[in-house]
Amino acid sequence: MPSPTITTLLEGHRSQPHQLIEALQDVQKHYGYISEDSMRSISDELGVSLMEVYSVASFYKAFSLQPRGKNIIAVCTGTACHVRGAKMVLNQAISQIGAEPGEISKDGLFTIEHVNCLGACALGPVVTENESVHHHMDPGKLRKLIKSLKKGDKEGASHV
Amino acid sequence: MTQEVTVNIDGAFIRAPKGSTVLDAALGAGICIPHLCRVPYLEDIGACRLCIVEHIENGRSKITTSCTLLVQEGMRILSNTDRIRKLRRNIAELLVTEAPNSRAIQDIALRCGVVETRYPFRNSDCVLCGRCVRACTGHFGEKAIGFVGRGKDRRVESPFNLYSELCNECGRCIDLCPMTIVPCDGNMKPGEGRLCGNCESKMLTEEAAQGYCIGCYMGDGFQCERSITNTL
Ligand code: SF4
Ligand code: FES
Ligand code: FES
Repeated sequence: MPSPTITTLLEGHRSQPHQLIEALQDVQKHYGYISEDSMRSISDELGVSLMEVYSVASFYKAFSLQPRGKNIIAVCTGTACHVRGAKMVLNQAISQIGAEPGEISKDGLFTIEHVNCLGACALGPVVTENESVHHHMDPGKLRKLIKSLKKGDKEGASHV
Repeated sequence: MTQEVTVNIDGAFIRAPKGSTVLDAALGAGICIPHLCRVPYLEDIGACRLCIVEHIENGRSKITTSCTLLVQEGMRILSNTDRIRKLRRNIAELLVTEAPNSRAIQDIALRCGVVETRYPFRNSDCVLCGRCVRACTGHFGEKAIGFVGRGKDRRVESPFNLYSELCNECGRCIDLCPMTIVPCDGNMKPGEGRLCGNCESKMLTEEAAQGYCIGCYMGDGFQCERSITNTL
């Protein structure tokens, strides 16, 4: 059953198939992910076939089809970050959170992702936590970051 | 009245209706350009890249797929140069490596001169030609299957991978899928990157054939447009 909010969310896009991506972005922003139900509602409201909605949603990395944690930790595994030890950082993140990349942690707080390059290679290894960017990461720093995020202590986190 | 233009394909002047593709024109004139993803009467998406040709424009040659290239007056096309043959052989080699278990793909590989593959076989069951996706009409044009994901995760699926209520069970997707054609069991052993090449396809790899259609049986294998129109 589509919740009333999704109908209001899609208000501006109704019957405008070309706004498919915008509609998906809105849903993603609002719910943190795009569920099967939301895709069905988008298909109905915009007049786009379900197959097309699903194709587009699964094509872009920016859209997540699974629920995601409150905090998104993206570890850059691009070439520059890789040679500076991004792999260790990623493994540390996985063991700290206890969930594989793309999955949601048990407490619902975290999702790890790996991205291919954030365009800040000189600062590698780079990790982004929600909107803020952390440079020269190592497993120790990451542990601290995750700890402080768990405490909900945002101030401390942004200086790591 | 349909307007016609004249194109020069491999030195032959061919008249073709405006709006048709170079591949259409060539096949109509008996010039065989290998192709896989193209199905007559469906839109072309240029997925398999087998039908590449050289398009000579202002003295410069550009390589592009002939199934998505529309004919223009005075166009010059070369479909069987060394360069094209080499590229096409590489494409066919990759295709047959990905999915060696189809007679259609095996035949195409032989036709393009692949005898041995340099890579281990992958034995996948889809080459992402998109024939099924384009043939599907679903309910009132709402397709029941489509491409999902991208890059190496691209695959053909119905929404959420559930049995789709949009499917009419027409079976057209299966009819058109090259992977449904039983492989030749010649000397090709599983895991061995060698094609047997003892079939009728062999004659087309000979230099004398020069890329012209000689009405081979191979067409049946991959539903070559000529063989379809011959049997209609
Ligand atoms: S399932 Fe068959 S027809 Fe469909 S894309 Fe794959 S190989 Fe082509
Ligand atoms: S490789 Fe990590 S920012 Fe470029
Ligand atoms: S037939 Fe032209 S790309 Fe497949």
